[in-house]
Amino acid sequence: MSMESHITLRSLPRENLKGKPLRTAALTIVVTLLSLALFAGSMLSMNLDNGMRSMERRLGADLMVVPQNSASQAEALLTSGSPGTFYFTRDVASAISKADGVAQSTEQVYISSLAASCCSSKLQIIGYDPATDFVIQPWLSSQFDGDVKDGQIVAGAGVNVSADGTIELYGRDWPVVAQLASTGTSLDNSVFVNRATVPQMVEASAQVSHRVMPAEYARKAVSAVLIKVADGYDPHMVARSITRLDSSYGKLGFVYPGGITASTKVSLGSLVGYTAIVVAVLWVMGVIVLLAVFFSSVNERKREFASLRIMGATRGMLRGVIVREALIVSLAGSVIGVALASLIVFPFSTLIGRQLQLPYLQAGPLVVIGMIALAVACSVAICVAASMLAMRRLARPEAYMTLREGQ
Amino acid sequence: MKKTIFASVPSVLFGALIAIAPQTFAHACSGHTPFGACHYSQQIATGIGIVIAVLGIISFFVARQVRVGINIAVAVNSLLLLAVPTVLIGVCKGQMMHCRMVMLPTLIVLGVLALVCAIAAAWAESRAKTA
Repeated sequence: MSMESHITLRSLPRENLKGKPLRTAALTIVVTLLSLALFAGSMLSMNLDNGMRSMERRLGADLMVVPQNSASQAEALLTSGSPGTFYFTRDVASAISKADGVAQSTEQVYISSLAASCCSSKLQIIGYDPATDFVIQPWLSSQFDGDVKDGQIVAGAGVNVSADGTIELYGRDWPVVAQLASTGTSLDNSVFVNRATVPQMVEASAQVSHRVMPAEYARKAVSAVLIKVADGYDPHMVARSITRLDSSYGKLGFVYPGGITASTKVSLGSLVGYTAIVVAVLWVMGVIVLLAVFFSSVNERKREFASLRIMGATRGMLRGVIVREALIVSLAGSVIGVALASLIVFPFSTLIGRQLQLPYLQAGPLVVIGMIALAVACSVAICVAASMLAMRRLARPEAYMTLREGQ
Repeated sequence: MKKTIFASVPSVLFGALIAIAPQTFAHACSGHTPFGACHYSQQIATGIGIVIAVLGIISFFVARQVRVGINIAVAVNSLLLLAVPTVLIGVCKGQMMHCRMVMLPTLIVLGVLALVCAIAAAWAESRAKTA
């Protein structure tokens, strides 16, 4: 017994799409490109924005005083995360903290670790003073309950911590008490130690024939004095008052984290702007192509629609067929587009952040789900709108006239 | 013929890419003494890539039903490829290591694409009308 196949009004859109595979493929590719561009572009902008906000939160000081010729190294440490070792002595640091306009000051020591074997990269070791710190402690305490004791380490998100909860630095295993969440900044590749642990680190470095600083400096070395300026003072004014403390202080390096944030914001703003322009241009072109395809398809299908009208189909029914065709194509295209964009944006996020040399922090799952829904909804809406616009043209003339026109 | 191309070319293409990528731009970290996990993942990925490419070439010259089976084999190999750097062997733990930043995502992307194409080809070939 053979089964006769019937084409119903319900199955008509699917059969129409199957019957014209080239047109269907062309429409699907256009919608795929639109949703891919929208989703990838939005995720890129959003992740950069997240990274920027994270960086702003982490750079909690108004002014950073570093040794002579170390300002660019200190800036690199804050932005691109190139590890470095530089220091002056504690007496300079205590003199700086007494300068006019300094509301709060704390000392930090920066030591660059060795690039150990194949499976770990160079790390930035940051020694901070828990008694005076106002930059790292608030952030640490939001994620780690307790004090970092002597010899203990808090690791950034990108640090390779071994299964036994230690990290090897200068040939010694150091216990890791906490690993922080990703910030999208250079701090992810840093480890934080109590200031009192620094001499132990220096000693360990000497034992592997890579002494990071002379033994006599281990207890008095300070890499940077981080300053919060008093109300009514400008960081540049405070820097000038520091240089007036001693004639040799004129050569000190001054880093303004606010300035770094501003310059990073400028580069980030231009990148986000270019991305938005590319996405907008792609969308304009995509919409034009969609309109052209729908208009030409409606034109070439005039006879088909006229026949359907003669068979009793109302204008609403015809509109329904076309809208459902557009709906199927746009849903398929937008899902493929989002899936393809996801294959680039998510697995390669670390590489993208590194190549951009800008703070880049992956957005959370809820935001990603929201963006997926938005990209699919926009692509479907634009495709359906284009199809309806094309249908308006067809809806005007009478069926008989259209049929004659097609002859 | 069109269906044969659809069912065979992606396997050859992705197989070749899976074999070549870990030995070129998406290589493992260098300086292993002894070899690290990423090195073994790299070598196995190359082997799996060659198998997928060879299966793809064979599928040009066989009957439709056999092509269905070959595409199922390609799909299983793709799953194996995905499991090697993520579950079975792994890569270096450091987030900034080349194997984690480039090799792992490249293998994941190629594995997913090879898997999707193989499943689609197997499905299309199994539905094809027989003469």
